[in-house]
Amino acid sequence: MLTTLIRRELLDNLMTFRFAAALLVMLLLVVANTAVLINDYERRLGDYNTAVKTNRQELQKKKMYADGEIVLNRPPNPLSIFNVGLDKRLGNELWLMYNTVPTLWEAGMNGSDNPLLNLFSAIDLGFIFEVVLSLIALMFAYDALAGERERGTLRLVLTNSVSRGHLLLAKYISAMTCLLVPVVMSLLFALILLTTSAAISLRADDFLRIGGIFLASIAYLSVFYLIGLLISAITHRTSTALMLAMFVWGFLVLVYPNMMLATLETSDIPQERAASALNHIKQIWEEFDRERQRFLAADAFPGEDSKFNIKGYWGYAVESYYQNRLTLFNIYDRTLAFDEIDEEYQPAVPHVQNYHRFLIPLTIQTADRTWLIRKEALVDTLVRQANLKRTLLKLSPLGVYDAATQAWAGTNLLGIRDFFDAARQYRQTVITYYEDKDAFGAREWFLADKSAADWSTLPQFSFERRSVEINAKRALPDMMLLLMISLVLFMAIFLIFVRSEV
Amino acid sequence: MIWHIATREIYENLNSLRFGLTTLLLLALMLTNAVVHLREHPKRMQKYHDAVAESLNSLRDRADNLYELVRRGPGRLYKTPSSLHFCAEGGEAFLPNVVHGGSGDWGWASGLRSIWRLKYPTVTPNVDNIEPDITKVDWGFIVGYVLSLIALLFTFDAIAGERESGTLRLMLANAIPRHTVLLGKFLGALISLLIPFTLATLMNLLVISMSRSVQLTAGEWGRLGIIFIIAILYVCLFLALGLLVSARVQRSAVSLVILLLTWVGLVVFMPNTLASIASGFSSPMSSDEYRKRRKEIGSELRKKYDTYDAEQPERRRRELAEYVTEEAQLQERLNQEHLAQQLEQVREARSITRISPVAMVQHLFEAFAGTGFERHRQFLQNVRPYARQFQKFVIETDRHDAESLHVVGVREGMSQKKVAMEAIPKFKDTLDLGRDFNTAAMDLLLLVLFLIVLLLGAYLAFVRVEI
Repeated sequence: MLTTLIRRELLDNLMTFRFAAALLVMLLLVVANTAVLINDYERRLGDYNTAVKTNRQELQKKKMYADGEIVLNRPPNPLSIFNVGLDKRLGNELWLMYNTVPTLWEAGMNGSDNPLLNLFSAIDLGFIFEVVLSLIALMFAYDALAGERERGTLRLVLTNSVSRGHLLLAKYISAMTCLLVPVVMSLLFALILLTTSAAISLRADDFLRIGGIFLASIAYLSVFYLIGLLISAITHRTSTALMLAMFVWGFLVLVYPNMMLATLETSDIPQERAASALNHIKQIWEEFDRERQRFLAADAFPGEDSKFNIKGYWGYAVESYYQNRLTLFNIYDRTLAFDEIDEEYQPAVPHVQNYHRFLIPLTIQTADRTWLIRKEALVDTLVRQANLKRTLLKLSPLGVYDAATQAWAGTNLLGIRDFFDAARQYRQTVITYYEDKDAFGAREWFLADKSAADWSTLPQFSFERRSVEINAKRALPDMMLLLMISLVLFMAIFLIFVRSEV
Repeated sequence: MIWHIATREIYENLNSLRFGLTTLLLLALMLTNAVVHLREHPKRMQKYHDAVAESLNSLRDRADNLYELVRRGPGRLYKTPSSLHFCAEGGEAFLPNVVHGGSGDWGWASGLRSIWRLKYPTVTPNVDNIEPDITKVDWGFIVGYVLSLIALLFTFDAIAGERESGTLRLMLANAIPRHTVLLGKFLGALISLLIPFTLATLMNLLVISMSRSVQLTAGEWGRLGIIFIIAILYVCLFLALGLLVSARVQRSAVSLVILLLTWVGLVVFMPNTLASIASGFSSPMSSDEYRKRRKEIGSELRKKYDTYDAEQPERRRRELAEYVTEEAQLQERLNQEHLAQQLEQVREARSITRISPVAMVQHLFEAFAGTGFERHRQFLQNVRPYARQFQKFVIETDRHDAESLHVVGVREGMSQKKVAMEAIPKFKDTLDLGRDFNTAAMDLLLLVLFLIVLLLGAYLAFVRVEI
């Protein structure tokens, strides 16, 4: 019986004009936008490759360790085509320094040749799905019950020994099967286009991630179809159902996300929390400075300042404290780097070496100590607010779906932070490498007159996206949420439909 | 007769579900818009005034010495924020609000410093912003997206629905010409849509004008009026589209499907997709090339001026002055070229997005609200004459100093006297509606053209269709 019902519904749905139109529009949009997105990704990848190459070459030219700036670049995520998330927006270039632990707020932007183009917002496939799929789902659902009731066919069907639950199930299954066609086809088209591009090489786990996005899309479709069915069950006329469905769509997709974000205060950093953290960090650095002064006082070199009065050629000496409220850091910066120095300053060199051998590990240690405070304060001041907004966005299925696809694609905040976690780890590796070489205390740390720094054995940085299991784990709550909404909606529809008169 | 049909339509609509929902939705959106504006605008103005005050303060510091004015220039020049920000946000976050007239930061020969030139900082506002993306709820959004969708919902069944229920045949059995029916339907839908929209707009303006922190001038009220009229034109466009499809199609459900998919294509996707495609047509100077050319200018000039005779300090001074002047000029020209290419790319992309009516109406809103891209270009155009004026002022002042050697550009060569702060020309960023209107005229004409074509189309479709 169920299969007969499903077959009937399926044929009913497939032969309609709306199905053909929906499929056509969906495919058109997906193909046009995928081409644009691939182009954009290739450009970003090119920029990334150039940046990596130039940075590596620049580093090789540096003769002093203190002068060598290690720059890390964040590669663009190929799955950003499906949901760009924060991938394109947040900083993609990080200057690794021993005196500060890097976070995403310190990263800069590399490779956007025309920042004014940000005026046009990017459209990713996720956005197309969000807008068009929900619309199509509602168009399929609004007359499913109300229409049959109007035409009287509902009564006819129910005169047979068909249970109402079965009828609902048949409608749900067949409509979902129909709705899957545009999703599958557009994803296939997108994949075909992706594989034709030489720059994009998708790995096996990328296909798993795309599979995850596909599952999320189905769950999202199901939610909107059921919303439409619910409207159809509670209204008696199709025209009312249609109006209600359209306004619900407009509200959930167009109005709610923007209105909610507009009403919430734009994020000013909670000043007190930030100030107290910064104060604490400052105290730690003051302690550091006292220890530094103590060391300098104990050192036997006469008449010195901490730069040891050295003057030389093609070099510079910087010593200062920087402070930044947004990223909550206060750092002591010291660079002393010379190609050559005058003969008269030669006796100072061992003292400087000694000083560095003491100072730099201490700086690193202090930076690590302040990091513990910074980490919490950054979460309190910046991350929590953003997460709150994201949670509120999830009151609309659109927000849940967006979060789920971002998690699968790895372009959400956690995905981006993975890179910075890797960068912090790499910083530790570099520090250990320097320590093993005794680079801090070496003459080449600041002076290249005898021998230059050797960069050949420096460990290379490479960033791999986290494994697909991690993506799945991050997407799971949102996927579950979508499923749960579906289930609750289905049950509500069932209860209403069972009690309603035909 | 037209009125008869129109009033019938209006009465029918007033009692309908869509009218109630529209009123609610528009009121909620417009009130949100007003509340957000009242919260944000004073902050924005405060920020602007603080920045200008700071810029003037640093100018005052430099005014102690005429040479310092030459070296460090007029400082930061800020764009005045518009008080009609709530009408069109215009992507202001992505447009820099400042041009920097400052020094080039280098010293070549000992004691020689570069002089000021105009620099155009860029903004990457989101580089440290981890919050979710947002479309600002401004009038442009409310009218462009929400109201256009609602306009389609008001007309999709205007003719197809009556045809389905058979009342169309009844009506036409009377001696009513078809165009009267069409016009009556159009006016009926327009008026029943304008009632909630006007109500919501008035509420919005009431809230905004009641606040003491935001004051609107007479000119701004006038521009609000123009924006309102543009909104009506835009709504008419979608009503006509709705009627056109409704007249051609037999069933109202099919009509709605076509209209919604058209709407999704035209409004949601076309502007951004077209802009992305169009911005690929031209490639402005890349930042690498820009840096390379900057370096080239520096090294070429150094070569050119490196052949000097140290025995003649007089000539040397003159040469160095020439050097710094030329360097500043060339670098400024490069900056300008770089910027002009970037602006051109965006302008091209924007002009192609005009195919989509929503882009058109948003451009128009921006033009009359004094925000967005065109306003930014106007600001940049305002900066240039001021820069020339400042240069002229310095030279004039130096000429009046009898002790000066009149070699502008090097410290020893020119007046070191204090300059009266009042005498220094100050930058004033003004909005010129005349120039605005020129940029807007094209959009306005296109909008009217679209409207006429669609109305004619609806008329032809309805006249020739069988019932």
